Amino acid sequence: MNAYSITAKELAARGFENLPEELSSAKHMIYSSPATLDYNSPGAKGFGVKRAGLAIPGSVMLLVAPGCCGRNTALLNELGYSERFFYLLLDDTDIVTGRYLKKIPQACAELLEECDTPPSAVVICITCVDALLGTDMERVCRACEDKTGVATIPAYMYALTREKRLPPMAMVRQSVYSLLKPQKRVSTACNLLGFFSPLEDGCELYALLKSAGIKTVGEIGRCKTFAEYESLSKANFNLVLNAEARYAAQDMQERLGIPFIELTRLYRLNKIRNQYRLLGQAIGANLDDIAAYQSALETVERFRERYGALRIAVGECLNADSFELALALTEYGFAVPEIYGTVGERNFVFIKKLAEVSPDTRIYSNLSPTMLNYRCECALDAVIGNDAMYYHKDVRGIGFQEEAQPFGYRGVELLFTQLDAALQEVSA
Amino acid sequence: MSNLLRFLSPLAPDDSGVCGVLYELGGITVICDAGGCAGNVCGFDEPRWHEKQSALFSAGLRDMDAILGRDELLISKLAKITEQVSAEFTAIVGTPVPAVIATDYTALKRMAERKTGLPCITVETDGTRGYDFGERLAYARIFREFAAESYPVRTGKIGVLGATPLNTGLTRAETLIAKLKQKGWQDVVCFGLDSGLDEIRRASEYEQLLVIAPSGLKAAEYLHEKFGTPFAVGYPCLPDDVTAQAQALSGKRVLIIHEQFAANALRNIVTNCTADCATWFMQDTRYTQDGDFRITGEEQLREAASRYDVIVADRMLRRAVRGFSGEWIDFPHYAVSGSAEWL
Repeated sequence: MNAYSITAKELAARGFENLPEELSSAKHMIYSSPATLDYNSPGAKGFGVKRAGLAIPGSVMLLVAPGCCGRNTALLNELGYSERFFYLLLDDTDIVTGRYLKKIPQACAELLEECDTPPSAVVICITCVDALLGTDMERVCRACEDKTGVATIPAYMYALTREKRLPPMAMVRQSVYSLLKPQKRVSTACNLLGFFSPLEDGCELYALLKSAGIKTVGEIGRCKTFAEYESLSKANFNLVLNAEARYAAQDMQERLGIPFIELTRLYRLNKIRNQYRLLGQAIGANLDDIAAYQSALETVERFRERYGALRIAVGECLNADSFELALALTEYGFAVPEIYGTVGERNFVFIKKLAEVSPDTRIYSNLSPTMLNYRCECALDAVIGNDAMYYHKDVRGIGFQEEAQPFGYRGVELLFTQLDAALQEVSA
Repeated sequence: MSNLLRFLSPLAPDDSGVCGVLYELGGITVICDAGGCAGNVCGFDEPRWHEKQSALFSAGLRDMDAILGRDELLISKLAKITEQVSAEFTAIVGTPVPAVIATDYTALKRMAERKTGLPCITVETDGTRGYDFGERLAYARIFREFAAESYPVRTGKIGVLGATPLNTGLTRAETLIAKLKQKGWQDVVCFGLDSGLDEIRRASEYEQLLVIAPSGLKAAEYLHEKFGTPFAVGYPCLPDDVTAQAQALSGKRVLIIHEQFAANALRNIVTNCTADCATWFMQDTRYTQDGDFRITGEEQLREAASRYDVIVADRMLRRAVRGFSGEWIDFPHYAVSGSAEWL
């Protein structure tokens, strides 16, 4: 059987309530495609729960789990985390009785003996075992704090709840800001929430905020010390750049009184422009983004003139929503024959629009077992996304999944500049 | 606290061991997890994942599946795959989730076989033990299930048990085949490495079995009992650079750390030293010598290290013996570091 796919037109006609089973991961086994391992292997690449939990400067993590849950953490040693991970390994009696819970405070005390300097916090990461046992981790963390005197917070690596209202990556975002304490807010400070690494340095959002009188833009990914981290609670407002940070922002609003505004990472220039206009209205400033808009527009047009109507496949292992990016590319005059993505309620709106402008675009689910049989049946000039690059090793492309996060007009510029470089590299 | 790892990352777990044995046998293997365990197996412990295709899937369990024990949903998903991917058998591999909810694997096997019409192997791993435990279970189950028929013995044919990437770091069988052909064997098969289910079915036609890791012993004993096939233990694929460095040692107290048979094989060539072997994994007392020991934790390893001049072990272990001032010879073990840089 060939890999399952459906056209944008067919999918839009069915509606989100009537997704085909192959696009609903709850209704089939999951293929850990080599193309999607960073999705299916939390912590393996990028920021899964384990790495994300260490976003607090100076913190260490105790993973309390069977050995299998922490096995791939060895990969993070290469990124300099080897001194910050500790493991309390559970045996079979532990996981059915929960007896290990009483050992966690002692384990915390012992790991602190190995730290050259006292950590700012201990993050206790727990897994599916505790999801099923119903562990009260807040209570365990309090016991650890009583024993060690070091702030202790939970990180829930509950793969079992990945499709719940609060999936693990939303929970961990709340956790990493949970040590912030209320303090006097500064009207010229704001935070960017959503990513664990900072925005790419050239992003126009910094300049726009500065033009609106914001002097300090806080990001957890730029905090080098715990003191810098603590100063995040001085912010007058938070900008949420990734919906997975919404719960964290709500929590900060409740606990610290910091309101938030939500933005979306987009690749359609007119939508970015509209979003900045609305942001300006919300914060009472006129954000002059014309220069950044023009620069990005010229980049797109130059690329389009140089290469014509390229046929580009779009994956999901990249810094974009696959469907919004595909829609943007289509609107810029490129063809998108295939998308490898995960359809959700949030991005179904893009699929509906895509169905209007590119009805024959075929949509595949990376997680479908049928992707074992995937063979490309269309002509492509370029691909975007690490998964798309895996499927099309002989086609030019970019992963577009760097740690420095693209956003706004700068994101569009980076996309086409990188794509241009990849295409030129090959032609040279 | 011996189960607290301060310096090391966890070693390859039992579910990875099962998947490594079944990887090339042409079945549909389902890891009974929410997704993370399968990601660990495919993304870390299985170096063949990027070069050889295998029908290895995650069950994609969700909390309510586990809480309500939705075995029928699991089996219907499995049956659906058998319509999409051709396979000779199915396998269900355990993880912590089914362990917590006490999944009845015997029932799962019966349900799967009835629904799919294919033989089903279930392996009740729980992610808390070493990879070798999982390999042992998988070898035993697969031979018991499929090596049923007696064939005439073919002289000069040898089968290798334990040839998994987690033991050897090898993703292809050429090296092992070449080494054994040099020793006079005409037909060499590494079960599950560049060979499929047919060779398992024809296990009775082998003149001899070579077990290169303790995880293969149980299956070898079963085949000996059932078909009279003799077996020997050994490890013919020591890395050349490790062998050369070990042979150059003289008058030293040496500690070799690896899976038991690899360590023993290296000891056999360290003739001018006193050498002990240790392992984090299974240790069969029939193949130990005085001074050998099983490692139970970082602290024990650190204390033991002080008694030796030279340690021959995977470089990742060096972090656990920080005070060790002697010589270190890197002897990579994929199940420890997950690194195959030496290949």
